[in-house]
Amino acid sequence: MNICVLVKQVPGSEAHFSVSADGLWIQETELPFEMNESDNYALEEALQIREQKGTGEVVVVSLGPDRCKKAIREALAKGADRAIHIKEDAPYNTDPYAIASALANTIKDEGFNLVLSGLQSDDLGFGQTGVILGELLGMTTATLVVGTEVQDGKIRVKRELEAGWFQWQTMDLPASLAIQSGLNTPRYPTLKGIMTAKKKEIKELSFADICAVDELQSFNGLSVQHAEKQTEMIAGSVDQIVARLVDVLKNEIRIN
Amino acid sequence: MDILVVLEDKSGNIHRMSQEAIAGAQQIGGECGLSIGVLALGENAPALAEQASQYAVEEILSLENKYLFNYTADGFAAAVAQVVSSEKPKYVFFGHTYQIRDYVPRVSAKLKRPFLNDIVSYSVQGGKPVFSKQAFNAKLVTALQLIDDSPCIVSFQSAAFSSDTIQSGLVSVRSVTVNIDAGSIKTVPEDPFQETAGGVDLSSADLIVSIGRGISKEENISIAQELAKAMGAEIASSRPVVDSGWLPPHHQVGSSGQTVAPKLYLALGISGAIQHVVGMKGSKNIVVINKDPDAPLFEIADYGVVGDLLEIVPKLTEAIQGFKN
Amino acid sequence: MSEREVLDMDVLFVGAGPASLAGAIHLKRLLRESGQEANVAVLEKASEVGAHSLSGAIVDPRALRELFPNYNDADFPFEAEVTEEHLYYLTATKKIPFPFVPPPMSHHNCFVTSLGKLTRWLGGICEDEGVDIFCGFAGTELLYDGDQVIGVRTGDRGIDKNGEKKTQFEPGADIHAKVVILGEGTRGSLTKKLINRHELMQERNPQVWAVGVKELWRMPAGTVPPGYVTHTMGFPLGHDIFGGAFLYGMQNDIWDLGLVVGLDYKNPAVDSHHELQRLKNHPWIRSLLSAGQMIAYGAKSLPEGGWYSIPRLAVNGALLIGDSAGFMNGQRLKGIHLAMKSGMLAAETTADALSTGNFTATQLADYESRVESSWIRDELWKVRNFHQGFDRGLLGGLANAGMGLLTGGRGWGFKNRLFSEAGHKKMKKIVEKNRYKDLQFDGTYLFDKVTDVYYSATAHEENQVPHLHINDQNVCTTKCAEEYGNPCVKFCPADVYEMVPDGDGQRLQINFSNCVHCKTCDIMDPYQIIDWVPPEGGDGPVWVNL
Repeated sequence: MNICVLVKQVPGSEAHFSVSADGLWIQETELPFEMNESDNYALEEALQIREQKGTGEVVVVSLGPDRCKKAIREALAKGADRAIHIKEDAPYNTDPYAIASALANTIKDEGFNLVLSGLQSDDLGFGQTGVILGELLGMTTATLVVGTEVQDGKIRVKRELEAGWFQWQTMDLPASLAIQSGLNTPRYPTLKGIMTAKKKEIKELSFADICAVDELQSFNGLSVQHAEKQTEMIAGSVDQIVARLVDVLKNEIRIN
Repeated sequence: MDILVVLEDKSGNIHRMSQEAIAGAQQIGGECGLSIGVLALGENAPALAEQASQYAVEEILSLENKYLFNYTADGFAAAVAQVVSSEKPKYVFFGHTYQIRDYVPRVSAKLKRPFLNDIVSYSVQGGKPVFSKQAFNAKLVTALQLIDDSPCIVSFQSAAFSSDTIQSGLVSVRSVTVNIDAGSIKTVPEDPFQETAGGVDLSSADLIVSIGRGISKEENISIAQELAKAMGAEIASSRPVVDSGWLPPHHQVGSSGQTVAPKLYLALGISGAIQHVVGMKGSKNIVVINKDPDAPLFEIADYGVVGDLLEIVPKLTEAIQGFKN
Repeated sequence: MSEREVLDMDVLFVGAGPASLAGAIHLKRLLRESGQEANVAVLEKASEVGAHSLSGAIVDPRALRELFPNYNDADFPFEAEVTEEHLYYLTATKKIPFPFVPPPMSHHNCFVTSLGKLTRWLGGICEDEGVDIFCGFAGTELLYDGDQVIGVRTGDRGIDKNGEKKTQFEPGADIHAKVVILGEGTRGSLTKKLINRHELMQERNPQVWAVGVKELWRMPAGTVPPGYVTHTMGFPLGHDIFGGAFLYGMQNDIWDLGLVVGLDYKNPAVDSHHELQRLKNHPWIRSLLSAGQMIAYGAKSLPEGGWYSIPRLAVNGALLIGDSAGFMNGQRLKGIHLAMKSGMLAAETTADALSTGNFTATQLADYESRVESSWIRDELWKVRNFHQGFDRGLLGGLANAGMGLLTGGRGWGFKNRLFSEAGHKKMKKIVEKNRYKDLQFDGTYLFDKVTDVYYSATAHEENQVPHLHINDQNVCTTKCAEEYGNPCVKFCPADVYEMVPDGDGQRLQINFSNCVHCKTCDIMDPYQIIDWVPPEGGDGPVWVNL
């Protein structure tokens, strides 16, 4: 069972960042970076599936600048076998279609049975890349995956639906799954894992060489969302306040 | 049609977010001079089409196909891509639901057209809509630039538009067909089921009642829970409430908890430390009740009450139970 | 995975700071030159090298030049050479320049540096030399065979807040090493245990610390001169609290503003974070910063005791280097070059020990001789009584320092050694309320502690036992509340400690997740009942260029 895990490095979740002076991206120089949260769960799921099957490779693919080697090494330390680093420096491509096409180009001859990706990245937040990749490579796809069961030539996955509903479905392999955070407990890297990670292969490619399509859409600058708020302060007796609140909830916000 | 709105089925009724998408289409269509068509597909296509026929749109398409009776990404993506290819709208609108996330990227890939997902707002430039989405965990926003004119696929975040603003009309329904090869459906779904969730996904909740330190005591939490129940809202909290052990961690909203952007965020006794604010400032309507007039949270509130929540909330609950009945 | 991992190394450095990294690089080279093979590893509790590094800083390039003789200064990751330096006495509204900068306090030929950037750079070279750097692993216990240190055990990972094992539980690993070199930085936790067990402070002055709190401000392009250096005294600390402010110009339009506060003040109401905000109220500072945006906050303690507070440095199987040993020149405000040199000297001792196979205290005491005959001693001897003069206030301290300059370091001009007591003992039982009543936090220029903590990018696994062990919490709500007014609430720069209402009274709430690992609480608690132990590996701040 050969599994590809798409891993992205994103700004640290506790980091405070600001828009760069030209307004086109964020100021990266003082930022810590980490592996995207749901990607970490995808990696763990891949490692667990491989452990269950007993054989097969887990290969990590990551697109980004040099700094994302840190996330790659973390994945290798946790047990991935090798990695492909598609190097891209700023300004970064922000089109999931172009990105997925480049990734598809990279892995199309590897014969992966499964591609696992995190549900969405904490930076661009499209949540499309894994699904587009699956479509381009003729795989079945599923998102919001919260459980997996590998069968013969197929995989049964549990999907999260809205409002506390779930659904299992059985899909042909190969499949591309977008993994929801929380479906497993990611392992810690061990000391031996860190030491052996140094010897594992990281193949380097260049995004410019691989990406054969134009961006269909792109980010046009970034800005802080403006809350042009006029706060209505509601005063009076408790009864008056309650009455106005009910009016607001019912007629203005329309909570129904 | 210029805009094709694809409807999602919620147990035989048009999903609220699809209604919002129609409202959005009417608004954008009005401003930009674009005509609107609506597509109903799936097992309940006729019923959905019937409901949509009472909206002010130009066309209603009803698509029935046995391979669409149960939702699969394989089937729905193929069907929608085919309809879009033959109808050639400039825009395809959806509400950004879990189902959309599951299959619409495949439509995008099949058509090689961009999918602008989870859109929160738009502006009109040169007579055309320009769509904006959030980025970096909803901390920033960007306007999306397209490589060329159309078509593009757009999904709207919950409450980007209000279904209350839908204009009515009367339109007749036209049937459409697609060709779906049996072999192309490689997914066999089972029946959906409910689970008493260990954690509520607050990020998909529409209404949230959130509790802060101002609740004072663990015993008072039930007051907030009663209100939430009356409103049909989920319960969330700021960090100190979780730290004190009064609520389990999955209720926490903030930089080390969940990020939410519901239609209503009703904050009870929350001061508004920045760690909390980053997790909820995208909420469409923020109502703040706090004893402290200097609580920073008032700065981002749409409605604010300086008062004692312990007095106000029980009466509010009663009043809401009243109008619900 | 619940069997304890065991790893055999030859040498283990604990803490990936400048001392350990310089030491590891030097050691690997010495071994190569002598044809020896040895496994050298560095243990680091942060998720990456540099994430827990914080300093001003101005670096004396001496040690770097020794370690990298073929490099030019331009090859080092400095922000800028010091281009202009100022020393001011501040009042609440004025700034009065000192008539001259005393040569030993001059920063000429030194470099404004971000310690985080420097350690990351050193870390890269270290890895290239074949050293294993294990990030995300906290050293929590020393391993002994009788009286011989034989290694370090790392903390368990995956224990929940009730002390129960979680699904992903991994027991701590045992790393065996012939020599363990503790470079944990200020108030190291293993160092504390080593010092206590082997009584390494006998006949020494107790160590005294200060805490440095700082903010980085991003300014409009082109408005910050890299290499600009200012130090101040006076406002806001006044004459009775040791310390002063620093303002350094960094690259990328960043002002680096900080305040050092001696952790031997008498008034328990003192709050170093609040003092930093007060400092920003000074019109001159406001004129410099108000057009910018605060982008990062952090705090860290630093050892100020000087030469006579340095413990015995070698025991069977272990050595102390860097800030853990107290190698800091309080007068020059520099310790990084001393830390690196100490690491290099420890490496030399270790290389010798490896070739003889003898790792006893006697063999390893060679390190102490090396320190004695190195420029570390030359430099620290001249300022051996610097901090102690400030027991008599600012003017006394300056007078003592002046006399020290003339007499090669004698206390008050004639005493070879001034004795002092631990800082926490100086705290008086007065409860000053309203010290900061005029301080208004506006959230855009002056920030409350909770907001500043947000900018320290610190995070901890929430579901774990708090890493701040209070040996007797009853003291908090009774004795300490009465006698000192719970100074932990004030001296912690990260809002970890809070007294919250509990029924009719109060209880101590520990927001351990805010902890920035400065160690102030472990140092300053008047009852010495707070024991700081490392939280789960990988937790804590994620500083980039602090």
